[in-house]
Amino acid sequence: MKKVKDFITRDLTSVTEDTPLKDVAELLSLRGVNGIPVVNMKNEVTGWISERDLITSIFPEKFQAENPDLIGFINLSKVVKKLTQVGEAMVKDHMIRTFHPVKEETLASDVADIMLQKNLKRIPVLRHKRLVGVVDRASLAHILLEEGSLD
Amino acid sequence: MLATVTLNPAFDHLLLIPDINLGTFNRAKTTARMPGGKGINVASSLAILGNEVVATGLLGGQGCPVFEGALRKIGVTTNFIYVDQEIRTDFFIMEEGKRRQTLIVEKGNPIGLRYLNSFKANFERLLSSIDLVEIGGSLPSGVAPNFIKELVAAANKKNIDVVLNLPEDILQECAQGTKQFIVCPDLRENKNMFGKDIYDAAARLEIIKELRKKETEIIILKFGNLNYLVASKDEIWEGEIELSDYTVMIGVRDAFLAGFIHKYKEKESIGEALKYGLGAGRSAALNNRNHPKSKSEVEEFYLMAKARKVG
Repeated sequence: MKKVKDFITRDLTSVTEDTPLKDVAELLSLRGVNGIPVVNMKNEVTGWISERDLITSIFPEKFQAENPDLIGFINLSKVVKKLTQVGEAMVKDHMIRTFHPVKEETLASDVADIMLQKNLKRIPVLRHKRLVGVVDRASLAHILLEEGSLD
Repeated sequence: MLATVTLNPAFDHLLLIPDINLGTFNRAKTTARMPGGKGINVASSLAILGNEVVATGLLGGQGCPVFEGALRKIGVTTNFIYVDQEIRTDFFIMEEGKRRQTLIVEKGNPIGLRYLNSFKANFERLLSSIDLVEIGGSLPSGVAPNFIKELVAAANKKNIDVVLNLPEDILQECAQGTKQFIVCPDLRENKNMFGKDIYDAAARLEIIKELRKKETEIIILKFGNLNYLVASKDEIWEGEIELSDYTVMIGVRDAFLAGFIHKYKEKESIGEALKYGLGAGRSAALNNRNHPKSKSEVEEFYLMAKARKVG
């Protein structure tokens, strides 16, 4: 069975807890990814921030309400004010601190379990707490199907 | 782990043409497009030689996924700061009939201060997980040499070995008051350093003498297409990349530097490290790429390389 080291994307793109949310939004958009690791000054991963966290921070009512469709944004100026506040907020205010890292030696099947059970699209790969890359669903699916075709 | 810094990366676009006819239609026989820039070439070569290496710098535009993907494919970890402009392209035109090479380099646009600040913060975090950093290449428009000097000072503060692979003017400014493990001045444009001609043997010794006055452990000078001189505080060695055929000289010097770093970090003598560098340079030259073909080919050429002590 393939391991994380066989399909990891060795990229260290990350943000810190003091990065403004508007910079995170720009980065996610430029990179075309849905989430990114949060690191400290030693490049140790302390959390994760995703596009969902950003949107939740803008429209918290939508995610808390039982029926979000009933909530409208009648007052436009209120929304604009909210967007300004969120843009200036820091990653530390909205990041997820409970994340699910894997190691380079983790089996692909274990990564699949974590992704499906926790509904995650990208997972950080750590070595001694430090970021060495990420794995995503597309590369996981590719490696699993490639392995399957060899049988 | 090793890291390389390239603030002004570019795609290296190679065009092999029998003969160029200026002012009319030309069709290239072979083309190749690959990530390039001094630090990028060194990172690629170090990865081919089996080192864990991170390439960092400034990168932007639609070409980023291709650029980064190509680097990761050969084992380089990427860690770039994205900027709001496209990656430059440097064109290498090789006329086989005339055995002539022409290089056309694109000039980059100015880089905003916010990107430089992001890069610097990211660089300082990266320092916590590396033991050597190579800083190479030209500077983007609007970036002063002092910016590089600040990076060197930050690395010095954490006792991380610094390799400077920079044009003469930038290198001179950065070397003032900082400490370097290796300096490898890029003299392609100037052909001289401290006003002394790199093609003159006596002048080369004068250049070494001047550089030895600074806090530098190893000095590497390239003269001509294939000749290298390596000096420590006590010894000077010289060697030549052996090539029988006319080849594309993209990134050969950077592959040499990577080979030298790889071997010297294994506690080998500078003579052996020089020979390994010559092997890496030869492999890159025959590869038509800006990095060696494979570690096994470099090792084969290393065993065949000749170096002599000259001082």
